[in-house]
Amino acid sequence: MRSPLPTVALLALSPIALLAQEPERTTIGGYGEVHYTNPSGPDSPGQVDVKRFVVFFGHSFSERIAFRSELEVEDTKVEGGEGGGEVALEQAYLDYRFSPAATLRAGLILPPIGIINETHEPPTFNGVSRPSFDDVVIPTTWRDIGLGMVGTLPGSAGLSYRAYLVNGLLASGFTAEEGIRGGRQEGKNASFANPSLTGRLEWARPGLKLGGSFWYGGSANQDPALGTGTFENAVALVEADARYDVGPFMFRGVVANISIADAERINAAFGSQIGSRIAGGYVEGAYNVLSALAPASAQRLNAFIRYEHYDTQADVPTGVTDDESLARRITTLGLTYKPLYNVVFKGDYQLLRNKAGVGEGEELSLGVGYQF
Amino acid sequence: MPAAAQSAPHDKLAKSIERVYGAGAQVDTVKVDTTTVYRISKAGTLLGFAEVRNVIGKELPITFLVAIDPQAALRDIDILVYREPQGGEVAYEPWRKQFRGKTAADPLQVGKDIRNISGATISSNSVTLGVRQALAQLSAWRAAGKLQ
Repeated sequence: MRSPLPTVALLALSPIALLAQEPERTTIGGYGEVHYTNPSGPDSPGQVDVKRFVVFFGHSFSERIAFRSELEVEDTKVEGGEGGGEVALEQAYLDYRFSPAATLRAGLILPPIGIINETHEPPTFNGVSRPSFDDVVIPTTWRDIGLGMVGTLPGSAGLSYRAYLVNGLLASGFTAEEGIRGGRQEGKNASFANPSLTGRLEWARPGLKLGGSFWYGGSANQDPALGTGTFENAVALVEADARYDVGPFMFRGVVANISIADAERINAAFGSQIGSRIAGGYVEGAYNVLSALAPASAQRLNAFIRYEHYDTQADVPTGVTDDESLARRITTLGLTYKPLYNVVFKGDYQLLRNKAGVGEGEELSLGVGYQF
Repeated sequence: MPAAAQSAPHDKLAKSIERVYGAGAQVDTVKVDTTTVYRISKAGTLLGFAEVRNVIGKELPITFLVAIDPQAALRDIDILVYREPQGGEVAYEPWRKQFRGKTAADPLQVGKDIRNISGATISSNSVTLGVRQALAQLSAWRAAGKLQ
């Protein structure tokens, strides 16, 4: 049976009458990871933890408007008076899609910085824990409230962007050991005293993705000791990353630099010892062993090595003596087994070193993770 | 992964067919079993066949076109509707053009003859699987004389 339907006729028909009506739909998904870590060798017990259990809820109201969220439980539970444990909304935003080049996004969003912050599901990265750099330098999972635009630039240049205005960091939470991490407000009754800008540009080709991102914003929260301007005690972050897959090999690398020019004033106000510059990065190479052992298999067994080097006191302001134990070097060797793309079994061994040679150690980790 | 029936706006489909086969082509619809296949010809010469399919990306369907030539070699694919916030790079031409000329005899697997896009791994895998299934089906129908 054949019915003639020339292209011209298809084009001439009213687009409104023929426009496919998208049904409303609710989607659920999730990811999680369970870890075993032993920092002290075979003679002492290790520790096990349900590191993360996360549920996604999403709803498409129409072809153009969608809601997305991520609700997380860390360490299985929150118990009054006990340390650890967290129940947190990690993302909750509305997308209004005008075109592929322009989607308006508003709500609790992820600053698009580095590789891990936006894409942090356990099967997407090697190693049981996220790279330490993506904890201490880029404080994943970094989320804040704001709005902005995301999209793909027209044409086939392969460029995409995200740009947001979000609430700022609080200098009161900055520390010598973990940099800006404690300054995140995470959407909890957050102060909007220092609206901050963050954005990212990405260029993709088959096998290759290059990205660059930034954050710029004040952190003084109108504290009279620090200054009341919008960009007072500015935090300026720049970052670049690359991912390259070729045959059975996978490479990725990230570098970032964070300047806190008014570190001296922040230290004076809070009695802290923060650096005026935080810098570092990592490189990682992986090889899918199954490509040689079982070429027909769609499963993966990645052997990988990652070298991280970062310092939360790369530069120190007047009044702070550089603590060389904060100049950290971490080498991670491990295996990542993925029977399916969304399921992962991991094991790794980390050599934790620092410039001062103080408190160095080695750590064995095992883990399982999933996403759906 | 098969997805619930999901269509693309007809103007998008018509433009896509025109992009793949050139302007002025005639499009006829052919039913094979329950599937609609577009038969594309120009001035009486057969140019090929095309089908619209869906795969689930991370959560939502990706609607795409698979177009073959009369020898059942893949002429091109096109992403007609992409609905998710991440992974839209599968619509980029540099990624799509890897499929041109593939036949049902090719592996069509990410990491083998198709390269991944980092950050769009789920979409890359889903679309590649969908193309492999569509190409196998269209080739079989062509060989069996169901598409003429």
